[in-house]
Amino acid sequence: MEPGLSGSESERVMGSIVAGQAEEVSRDIQIGGEGIGPMICHLDMDSFFAAVEELDQPGLAGKPVLVGGVGARGVVASCNYQARRFGVHSAMPMSRAQRLCPEAVVLGPRHDRYRRVSAELMTILRDVTPLVEPVGLDEAFLDLTGSRRRLGLGSPFAVGRWLRQTVVAKLGLGCSVGIGRSKLVAKLASRMAKPRVEAGKVLPGNGVLAVTAAQEPAFLSPLSVRVLPGVGPATAARLEALGIRTLEELASAPEPILRRQLGRATATALIRLAAGRDDRPVRGDRAPRSVGHEETFPCDLYDRTLIEQRLVPMAEAVAAALEADARTARTISIKVRFADFRTITRSRSLHVGVATSREVALTAVALLRGVNLHGGVRLVGVSASGLVSTESGRQLALELWSLPGPPSGREEDALELSKLEAWTGVSAALSAVRAKFGQEAIGLASRL
Amino acid sequence: MKFRSERDTLSDMLATAARAVSGRASSPVLSGVMITCQGDRLTATGTDLDLTIRVESDVVGLSDGCAVIPARLATDVVRSLEPGNVSFEAGDEVVEVSGGRSRFSLRTYPVAEFPAIGIPLDSMAWMGSSFLTGLRQVVRAASTDDSRPILTAVLFTNDHGVVRLVATDSYRLALRDLRDVKAMPVREDILVPARALMELQRITAKDAAEDSGVGVISTPHEIAFKKGHAVITTRILDGKYPDYQRLIPDSYPNSLTVGKENLLAALRRVRLLVRDNTTPVRLSMRAGGVDLSVISHEIGDANETVDGDFSGTEIMIAFNPAYLIDGVDAVDSDEVVIETNDPSRPATVRSSDADDFRYLLMPVRVS
Repeated sequence: MEPGLSGSESERVMGSIVAGQAEEVSRDIQIGGEGIGPMICHLDMDSFFAAVEELDQPGLAGKPVLVGGVGARGVVASCNYQARRFGVHSAMPMSRAQRLCPEAVVLGPRHDRYRRVSAELMTILRDVTPLVEPVGLDEAFLDLTGSRRRLGLGSPFAVGRWLRQTVVAKLGLGCSVGIGRSKLVAKLASRMAKPRVEAGKVLPGNGVLAVTAAQEPAFLSPLSVRVLPGVGPATAARLEALGIRTLEELASAPEPILRRQLGRATATALIRLAAGRDDRPVRGDRAPRSVGHEETFPCDLYDRTLIEQRLVPMAEAVAAALEADARTARTISIKVRFADFRTITRSRSLHVGVATSREVALTAVALLRGVNLHGGVRLVGVSASGLVSTESGRQLALELWSLPGPPSGREEDALELSKLEAWTGVSAALSAVRAKFGQEAIGLASRL
Repeated sequence: MKFRSERDTLSDMLATAARAVSGRASSPVLSGVMITCQGDRLTATGTDLDLTIRVESDVVGLSDGCAVIPARLATDVVRSLEPGNVSFEAGDEVVEVSGGRSRFSLRTYPVAEFPAIGIPLDSMAWMGSSFLTGLRQVVRAASTDDSRPILTAVLFTNDHGVVRLVATDSYRLALRDLRDVKAMPVREDILVPARALMELQRITAKDAAEDSGVGVISTPHEIAFKKGHAVITTRILDGKYPDYQRLIPDSYPNSLTVGKENLLAALRRVRLLVRDNTTPVRLSMRAGGVDLSVISHEIGDANETVDGDFSGTEIMIAFNPAYLIDGVDAVDSDEVVIETNDPSRPATVRSSDADDFRYLLMPVRVS
């Protein structure tokens, strides 16, 4: 569940706005003849991964479905509404989700499949307007300002309903659509149009909610400040200390006081957003800015070699994603989360975009070498950013290290990489033993 | 220690020595430069333990001694003083720097903690001007990416009794034979960090008036270069350099000869449309010359023709413009030859009248 909409107060707010108001709101638009001004749409698939699984396996219908990591530290990536009835939500540890809902069907994620469905979704949306800004796999903003007349559907609500029906019909998957004058309002509206769980029952959402300019104040005012992008627990607590809980209170707060609490830039931005003034454009041309993979280990890893070798398959996955996207990356980053949850990132920018798993792995391993891994590592990740299309060409490289690999030298990488690859089986076995018997049950002789 | 010096002499010395000092020094004393005054001779030394730069100059020495002063700060302080005389006096844990009506007192680091570095410089081999030309031609191709440390070095090797310099970042490879260098400074292959050689080039550029020789001496782990009043010592890298020789094609079917300055000027013009350093320049080589074009999505395109002689079959081949410019610029003659095989195999840039320099360049594959 999204922050800010989890408390009983916001449930009530959702209820009052969603229940029966959507149609009314849109009628207002028609009556008011509001045909000008921006029209931003946010479309969000309903429990996307779980829904795809249900689509592919009709036998799952009506059962609670959890998609996510199944290991000791797996988390729920997606769950259907049947599962949410039991209090499960995404990002919850899988073990806890299974305790709450023992009969749930637990599935490992099939990211390739989700990516393909996502690509179909984006194609459908781009047929409506080229101004589509995907947010992850299962969400997108659309700028429909210029498409209204062409669509000829009248009110924003009708446009939203048509869009939703189109997606449902073509993909066989549910989605929720929010429409407003800005990204903020559109996103909040789509959230409120979603199905929800109340007293153990799944209530279908309106599916579509359109908010007019005239409706905006009433729509935004009662919402918790937590719905704003950038307001997490810390900022919310500072605002609370000033007696500010709702957007209405925030919008009317004296700016100098907020500035002292939050800093100039944040204060100004939040006051604007709270009043519904959000001019962030829908970036239709935005390519994905990074691709990355990360892994939380079943138990903390202490051995550098083991940690390094876990980077290799991640680098392969990143390279595969780059390849599929016809892109190269100018920057490679790693992320390391230590046992105490301290998290660091390190990155390196290269002169020439890289795309091969070998190059990504080399850079990632080199970056990791610069990190002190004492104290145990809980998670590592590899990501590639500074993505550049290879449409304009791809720089070829000299075959400096011919097979069967460079002869020797601590510097040379290929040998070390193949060493790391050779560790894959050992590492998997170690992890399995540790997951079952604990961290100290098995280890490398080199650490004795 | 006490001495007087011209402001510019002193600030140049400090700035040069400070270039070896790391911004993230592993211990506080390493963020300092050690200055030593002996008679009228002042020496400034900076190091990050891999690279050490030592410079000397004449000053008016008043009393001998030494101090380790904060590198960046002291450089900035001296540079900021009024032009003219600067006087330096080391006291307990501070140095007094004064010039004009300004006086600074800077905390120093313990001299005892400054590492003892440097190798004996007796019996140096002297390399002529071709060594410096060779560095200019080769160092540019070395990698700056530490994930492959070996490629950040320039290989000093011996090819049939001739000293050869080689550098590559895996996209291009530059190779220069120093035929007139009689004494090889080392017997085996050694890997000299390009960073040290770049510093040597900087010092050489400043020092143009003096004689052009460079003294070289090495131990199994270090190599030192002496140029004028500066000595650069660097750790030699361990490891095995890739077998570059097998990458060099024996012959090429296609060969284009064009004027170096014409081609460079044309490349620099069409490069204006390059974005992100990723847009390639396409070269269509045909009888009578070469057509250059850069096609940049959403920006536009640029086209230019350079006259020249071409033999072989017509070919369209694309390169990273920066790499191609680096190669053409490195050629030490009025005409350059670009030899090609096919659009996905390495091309060579070289001089039309000498074969001691070769610049191997991998193309960009375009659709």
